[in-house]
Amino acid sequence: MSHFEILARCPTTRARVSRLTLAHGPTILPTFMPVATQAAIKGLTPQQVESLGVTLILNNTYHLNLRPGVQVLSEAGRAHKFQGWTKNLLTDSGGFQLVSLSKFATITEEGALFESPFTGEPTMLTPEESISIQHAIGADIIMQLDDVVPSLTPDHARVEEAMERSIRWLDRCIAYHNSSGNQDTQNLFAIVQGGLDFELRDRCVRAMIERKKNVSGFAIGGLSGGEEKGMELNVKQCAEKLPEDRPRYCMGVGFAEDLLVCVALGVDMADCVFPTRTARFGVALTFQGPLNLRLAKHAKDFAPIDADCPCPTSVTLHNITFQARLMGGARDAISNGTFPEYLRTFFARYFGDVGYPEWCVNALRSVGVDLLEGSDIKVVPGSGAKWEYSE
Amino acid sequence: MSLSFSATSTSCFGARTGSLTLGRPSATLVLSTPGLIVATSRGVVPHLSRDQYKRTPAIRCLHVPFESFLEQSPPLPTLQPGSHPLHTFIGFDPRKHILALALRDPADSRETPANGTDHVSAATERGIKKVTTEQWRTYVRACTPDIVVALTDIPWTPPPFSQKRLTKSIERSAAWLAHLLAPGPQPLNVLVHMAGGISAPARRAFANSLMETLHGQEAGNVLPYRCLDDGVAGYIFDLIPLYCAINASTDATSSDPPEIAGLLKASLVSTSPAKLRVVNSATSPHEILRLIRDVGVDMFDSKWAQEAAHFGVAFDFIFPVQKSGSRRDIGHNLYRAQYAHDFSRFADSAPACLCASCAPVAPPSVIAHSEFDAHSPATSPPAPYTRAYVHHLLQTHEMSAHALLVMHNLTVLDAFFAGVRGVLQRGENFEEQVDTFAEEYDEGSAIIEEARMVWKNVEMARGKGRLARERMGQKEI
Ligand SMILES: [Zn+2]
Ligand SMILES: [Zn+2]
Repeated sequence: MSHFEILARCPTTRARVSRLTLAHGPTILPTFMPVATQAAIKGLTPQQVESLGVTLILNNTYHLNLRPGVQVLSEAGRAHKFQGWTKNLLTDSGGFQLVSLSKFATITEEGALFESPFTGEPTMLTPEESISIQHAIGADIIMQLDDVVPSLTPDHARVEEAMERSIRWLDRCIAYHNSSGNQDTQNLFAIVQGGLDFELRDRCVRAMIERKKNVSGFAIGGLSGGEEKGMELNVKQCAEKLPEDRPRYCMGVGFAEDLLVCVALGVDMADCVFPTRTARFGVALTFQGPLNLRLAKHAKDFAPIDADCPCPTSVTLHNITFQARLMGGARDAISNGTFPEYLRTFFARYFGDVGYPEWCVNALRSVGVDLLEGSDIKVVPGSGAKWEYSE
Repeated sequence: MSLSFSATSTSCFGARTGSLTLGRPSATLVLSTPGLIVATSRGVVPHLSRDQYKRTPAIRCLHVPFESFLEQSPPLPTLQPGSHPLHTFIGFDPRKHILALALRDPADSRETPANGTDHVSAATERGIKKVTTEQWRTYVRACTPDIVVALTDIPWTPPPFSQKRLTKSIERSAAWLAHLLAPGPQPLNVLVHMAGGISAPARRAFANSLMETLHGQEAGNVLPYRCLDDGVAGYIFDLIPLYCAINASTDATSSDPPEIAGLLKASLVSTSPAKLRVVNSATSPHEILRLIRDVGVDMFDSKWAQEAAHFGVAFDFIFPVQKSGSRRDIGHNLYRAQYAHDFSRFADSAPACLCASCAPVAPPSVIAHSEFDAHSPATSPPAPYTRAYVHHLLQTHEMSAHALLVMHNLTVLDAFFAGVRGVLQRGENFEEQVDTFAEEYDEGSAIIEEARMVWKNVEMARGKGRLARERMGQKEI
């Protein structure tokens, strides 16, 4: 089983620094996990990723199950060996991508029914099957199969059904996992569902806490960043209620401002394809906001992307390093008791020219940090996602 | 910076070893020949990031086609400040890398409009740009490459070419060389492309025009050189225009096509054997061995090896050969389904390849992002990357596949040249080793052709996939 130890706490916000020790070594939290969908991070070798100070990455179960498939992975000695990654690894359940990438996915109590992209045959992904595939992949952290509905689904009954089903599926995942013999090396995380509904989330959190002794951590699912109004309220609610002695993982969050708000609310881990995907379009992440390197105005700029960045220049490497620096800086600030200042400095540099996203101001106020204190930077409604558009 | 070359052999033709020395205030770089020149595109080694250059010692000397920088005016490398503008602009280390600058990409065989009396038609992504001899001189002076290739009038209109066109080509090429050699702030290290097409007499005539002692105004223009050849550090041969012309001539007449080695020799017979000889676009180890054996070529570009990596081929050949008793391909097309379950390293040949893919090294240190971050180095070195993993990466369009294969193929090719030098230096029977190599390895680049076809199909399927994904909107995470 994993070992989770809190190393420091922010005296103001709910942020904390912790060490999560898994079968492939320790990972210091809060951290951002780069996504290696197909067992590779865009053009990089595992040695390059490791050299950037990354100790935990994510593989997608849905993709690895299709290609190379569990047969090849088990011949290789599981996913770590297959891809040459010696640090920690997390796999998702495969359910989310199955539902979003298959044309005819339907959810039944038994599992997710979909059309095999290779044979066209109806195929069922059950909670047991998801765990079984994740056992074959061999990640250090594995995720329960959950019933995902888009967080903005207007159908309250469907959201409630999905939440209740996710709890039942968690029980099936626990039962399968605990009888597998893999519990010593692989750690099961539960996923809190319930859309943006306070009451549903609350019920889900309580039900999942009851299963705490069988899970190594809790994820907050069904949200994806600050563009959805109310995301921060749900994160706050979940993070407040989830047990102190388990890591909290906010799924699908990767914008710098979202990450820092989530950390302030008590989140320890997050993942997103955004930093690596955006690199392919020439967008470099910086503490002054994203920089579109393909814009003509940057063409004659011979300065490095960021003079303080220790990365070997390549946009993908740089963006992964940026996320790691952002979270590493948060860790130090939390432990030094300067996290509120860290937040204020970050937001002033990042959003000083365009104004603070209102939801960030509100979310941070709720944990005792007022971005507007002693500042004349304006507040803008909406997502506030900062972007340099292409010409 | 000064460039000097010394060859072990003083005879005009035949295999030889040598060393190319570049002296700069900060470092002295020595390349052993025969050796390779790595191809770049838009200033980078395709598929590699800068930190991977360091892990690939085969990357020492690079060829930089300037034409891709012509999209901006003035071209950006010419605006780069500092003492090594070209190195700095494209991210190479002056203490480790020798950069050779040419206007055109020697591997580009597309038809381009005719050159003029004092300009060459260069290909950019935004169409054809005319580059005058004066512009070329300005660009070269601003970029300060270690080696520069003089402009040459190679016609890229469809062959065959008339006698008149060949004469014009020779005259222009000589005049353009003279223009580049005109006195400047520092002497340049100039390679001249040997003009004359597939006509041996025309090639001899061009070589002779380099050796001719100049008089009067012509001599004054290139002071202190007595003849153009005095200002030249070496000779360069682009094979693609020669092959194009040979193909066109055999279509038209049924007479015996001229042989590449014979054409190269026609250019070299009257020149000084002490100068560097470079060939672009030789495309197999067999062809390279023949040009070393028959002509005494010193350096070859490695674009074909990098392209093979792009198409999914992992090289697996070695010189001198260890006989296996059966005929082999020079590499493995890792797209093939047979590799899905093959967990062996890329190459079977011994000694094992030492590239960053076959002998990966855990990073000795990692970036720490907070006080809490402690690097825990792995207890055992990372395992070699496997054929099965790269097969998977190719199938899933992951670019890491190409990075791993480029580092490998360049390293195999570099080891091949080291093997050639070893045989020559030890005084072994080189001709016999070349024959044995040809018996062991299939020369037909069938394996590369096959990979190219598969790659095309995958790219097309991928295009369809992308469309499908776009139709699905932003659902994909
Ligand atoms: Zn950077
Ligand atoms: Zn290798």
